[in-house]
Amino acid sequence: MASVVKPLDPADAAARPHRYFRRQYVWQWPIRIYHWVNAVCVTVLFSTGLYIASPILAPAGEPVQHFVMARFRQIHFVFAFLFLINFLWRIYWFWMGNNYARSGFPFFWRPQWWRDLFRQAFGYMRFHAGHIHLGHNALGGLAYTIFVIALGWAQIFTGLALYSESSPSGFWGGVVGWVIPLLGGSFQVRMWHHLFAWGFVFFAILHIYIILYDGLQYRNGLLTSMASGEKFFKDGDLEHDTWIS
Amino acid sequence: MNSRSRRPSTYEVLREHGFDRRSFLKYCTVTAAAMGLDASMVPKVVEAMETKPRIPVIWLHGLECTCCSESFIRSSHPIAQDVVLNMISLDYDDTLQAAAGFQVEEIRKGLIQQARDGKGEYILAVEGNAPTADGGIYCTVGGDTFLNILLETAEHAKAVVAWGSCASNGCVQAARPNPTGAKPVHELIHGKPVINVPGCPPIAEVMTGVLTYILTFDRLPELDRQGRPKMYYGQRIHDKCYRRAFFDAGQFVEAWDDDGAREGWCLYKMGCRGPSTYNSCSTMKWNNGVSFPIGSGHGCIGCSENNFWDNGPFYERLSMVPLPGVESTPDQIGKTAAVVAGVGVAAHFTAFLARKAMAKGKEGESGSGEKE
Ligand code: SF4
Repeated sequence: MASVVKPLDPADAAARPHRYFRRQYVWQWPIRIYHWVNAVCVTVLFSTGLYIASPILAPAGEPVQHFVMARFRQIHFVFAFLFLINFLWRIYWFWMGNNYARSGFPFFWRPQWWRDLFRQAFGYMRFHAGHIHLGHNALGGLAYTIFVIALGWAQIFTGLALYSESSPSGFWGGVVGWVIPLLGGSFQVRMWHHLFAWGFVFFAILHIYIILYDGLQYRNGLLTSMASGEKFFKDGDLEHDTWIS
Repeated sequence: MNSRSRRPSTYEVLREHGFDRRSFLKYCTVTAAAMGLDASMVPKVVEAMETKPRIPVIWLHGLECTCCSESFIRSSHPIAQDVVLNMISLDYDDTLQAAAGFQVEEIRKGLIQQARDGKGEYILAVEGNAPTADGGIYCTVGGDTFLNILLETAEHAKAVVAWGSCASNGCVQAARPNPTGAKPVHELIHGKPVINVPGCPPIAEVMTGVLTYILTFDRLPELDRQGRPKMYYGQRIHDKCYRRAFFDAGQFVEAWDDDGAREGWCLYKMGCRGPSTYNSCSTMKWNNGVSFPIGSGHGCIGCSENNFWDNGPFYERLSMVPLPGVESTPDQIGKTAAVVAGVGVAAHFTAFLARKAMAKGKEGESGSGEKE
């Protein structure tokens, strides 16, 4: 079983390669930096956002002595711009990185992608391990596309639109001001921005669980791969990810 | 009056009404300031008012409550109050006109005819909006549907001014579920400049300011993306609110009778819509600058914003999510989703462990494990 650590016997490894894990450098450093900056940003943005939506601290005294709400908003804005730059950086790396940097893309016009999607979903439901993906599996890629990329864009546009409101004829008002009438007014933009923010919480719960579960189930080093960049696989695993090309 | 040969200018009308030149110049200065123009523009306003003939205005009333007219006739500046009505040559206004019946419809038809023949022009001001369901029968004026009257009058108008939230964005009669199919003016009239002057009602000085601008400069004021004059709707209530210091400090009223309310703290947590409402209330205020809702201790309800009736409740910061079948706030939905995810994850992991334990048991019996 998996937990039995055997000393490596080169003769055995050559004869039965499928029993032995190998190592592959998958996540390049820009991806790893992106991931952790993103994680910090989303955490800070969500918590400051909660305060901005429903401020629970009520400092006593004169207003000149305090700057609580303004500080929370300031932090929110600073991390929002960090989030934006980081986000654009990731999109740039989609083109510049290795194949694994692109493996999360939903290749929905490729039958192999759909096959992998269902195989992975059923695998989770029936606790079947299946094979190890070095990049993203189709289900994981789809989740990232929806909850990181699409949701990220939604938050960027609604967020910048709200940000632009203190100066509607300013730069950001010109770039994203159209979002406000599109969503039916400033109040609705706030409402959607707030609702979308919960999407990150929903995603984070599933994401963290799947990372741990996958690591347990496949022994692919998924958790540590976001630090080292390396994932583990066995012979035969690589033949499956044909849809990534 | 020499109106047969040539329409008099505003200045001529004002003189006829007994205003001296000094009050006229003062009026021009105040108006220019209210329009957001700098002092160097005052001579232009004066010149325009002295020389430009007045353009007639047809003022239609559709589905509405007349609060716009009520606001308008309470314009605080004495000249605006007394004379703006004269200044804009209000040739047709169901509520304010002295004439009635066929006579008054003739005036309207006459103006349209003149414009069609290229002999004159007029501005159409619309208060209220038109119900469109069932052929528009839910609002009829003089035996015709308001929808028809509106379209007919708009066709030859030089420009259309949509008064108030009804005309600009639908207001209460267009709130969900909108049984009469009421539609704001800009959704009904195409190929014409439509100026939205939202508010329920708009501030009197904003209304007179918009008309004065059009009449003096013979062009429309600069509009924003939602067709509102930037000079009055370019900023949010919140950005000029005198309670803003409390907002930035984080000092919020929590209940209508708490200490914060007595201290005049920010009304954000009481549902104030100031941060999402574009209007001039916090600068121009109401009733000759006496006060405005926030100044009187009540949050802004956002009456000049799109569908503000649907953005309720007014005393909450967030509305229900406007999706069919959803009756929850974003927070309720978000928390539910988080709980569902958490429970799902826990269930999955429990099942996983149970299976593993079973597999182990079997392995113990037969000695053959599951494929890894
Ligand atoms: S009272 Fe309303 S408009 Fe004024 S600062 Fe508070 S939230 Fe903004």
